[in-house]
Amino acid sequence: MQILKVENLYKSFAGSGEVVTDVSFEINEGEVIAVIGPSGSGKSTLLRCLTLLERIDHGTIKVAGETMVETTPQGRVVYASEEQLRKIRLRLGMVFQNFNLFPHFSVMRNITEAPIHVRGLSPAEAGEEAEKLLAKIGLTDKADAYPYQLSGGQSQRVAIARALAMKPDILFFDEPTSALDPELTGEVLKVIRQLAAERMTMLVVTHEMAFARDVADRVIFMDKGQVVEEGTAKQIFGDPENERTRNFLRNFSANHKLG
Amino acid sequence: MSAFQVPPSLIKLVTLLFNGVLTSLEIFFLTLLFSLPLGLLTALGRMSSQKWVNYPIRLYILIMRGTPLLLQLIFIYYFPFYLMPEGLKFRLPRFTAAIIAFVVNYAAYFAEIYRGGIESIPIGQYEAAAVLGFTRTQTFFKIILPQVIKRILPPVSNEVITLVKDTALVNILGVTELFRAAKNEANRTFSTTPLFTAGLFYLFLNWIVTKVFEKAEKKLGYYR
Repeated sequence: MQILKVENLYKSFAGSGEVVTDVSFEINEGEVIAVIGPSGSGKSTLLRCLTLLERIDHGTIKVAGETMVETTPQGRVVYASEEQLRKIRLRLGMVFQNFNLFPHFSVMRNITEAPIHVRGLSPAEAGEEAEKLLAKIGLTDKADAYPYQLSGGQSQRVAIARALAMKPDILFFDEPTSALDPELTGEVLKVIRQLAAERMTMLVVTHEMAFARDVADRVIFMDKGQVVEEGTAKQIFGDPENERTRNFLRNFSANHKLG
Repeated sequence: MSAFQVPPSLIKLVTLLFNGVLTSLEIFFLTLLFSLPLGLLTALGRMSSQKWVNYPIRLYILIMRGTPLLLQLIFIYYFPFYLMPEGLKFRLPRFTAAIIAFVVNYAAYFAEIYRGGIESIPIGQYEAAAVLGFTRTQTFFKIILPQVIKRILPPVSNEVITLVKDTALVNILGVTELFRAAKNEANRTFSTTPLFTAGLFYLFLNWIVTKVFEKAEKKLGYYR
C-alpha cells in the first residue's frame, strides 16, 4: 500500500529563493527511505512540508490515498479542510533534531499526553502502551524522570517513543542524531534499525551514511532543492549514476569513515 | 507584670489599622483576580498579527505604563461624571473606580510580562505539539502556558509586591485603606506612630507575598 505520494512539490521562502524544487517520490508501506545531501539542500524543508509545519507553494501530497494538498490546473494550492488535515496529521509522526520534549512533563507523560488528549485513550491504556514503548527503547527505569535528567541519546529515544505512541502510518526523522555527541548516536540508530526490522514505514533525513546504506531500502539524494538521484541503497552507494551524487559521496567518505 | 502590659492606645491603633488592612487586601485580591486573566488576553492581542488588534492594545499599554497610576485613579473616578455628555453622566462609587483603575493598569504590566514569557518558549515546543495533533488551544494551555508561568514568576512577584504598596494610592479617592487610616490617626493624635506602624503592616504583607512566591518557585523547580 502506498503511504505517501509527493508530486511536483515546490517551496520557497521570501528572500531565500526556492528551497525545494519540483520534488516527486512515493513511499510504500514498510519501506525505509533515507534522504541524504549537503547542508541546505532542502531536505529538512521537504520534511517540514510533508508534516504540515510549512505550507507548500505548488504540488500534491497524498497520505495513504487521502489528499493533504493539491494544486489546481490554474496553479492554486488547495489544502484539505482543517477536519481532514487533523485526521491526516494523525497518520504522520515526526522526530526532531532537537528532540523537542516537553520539559514540564515526565518521560511517561511526554509519551501519554497526546494519546490521551488526541487519540482519546484512557490514562490506563495510554500508560500501558507507554510502558511497552519504554521497554522497547530500553528506558523503563526513566519513566518518572524529567527531560533535563536525560542524556541526548535518551531524550531522542523518548522522542521516538512519543511519536510511536500516536501509532503513525509513517514516521519522519529530521537528522535525528545531528544534535548528539558522537558516542550517543549508536543507541538512537539502534532503535531506528529495530523499527526498520519491524517494517515501520520511515523517512529519515540523515548525515549518517553508513546507517543510510545499511538500513534504507531506498535512498534519495537531494542537492539545491532537487532530487538528483533516487535508487536502492546498494545502487546509490555502490554505483551512483549522477556526477553530483558521486562528488557528494566522495567528499563525504573523505571526511568521515564509511564504517 | 505591668512592664509587659500592652498599652490600650496601641491596641486601639492596631485595631484601627487592621480595618484599613482589610480594605487594602480587598483591593489587592480583586486587582489580581481580574488583572491576571485580562493581562493574558491583552498579551495575546498584543502578539496578534492583525494591526487593528495589536495597534490599539499597544496604545493602551503605552498609556497605562506611561502615565501615573495616581492620575489614572482620579481620571477614572471623575470621567463618568464630568466628561460624559449630558444625560449619560453618572457617579462611579469610589471603591469601584479604584478597582477599575488598578485592574486596567496592572493588566498592562502583566500583559508585557506574559508576552515576554510566551515569546521565550522555543518554537520547537509548538511544532512538536502540532505534529502530535494537539489543537492550538490544547497546545497553549497544556504545553506553553505552564512553562510560561514558571518563567514569569520572578517578574510577576515584583509586580505583586508593588501592588501591595500601590494600594495606598486609593486614599486619593477617599477610600479608607491602610494608609488613609494611619494618616487620619496620625493627624488626630499629632503622632507619627500610626504611619510607622502602617509601614510595618506593608512590610509584613510583602514578607508573606515573598514567601508565597518562593514556595511557588520551589514547587515549579521540579523541571528545567
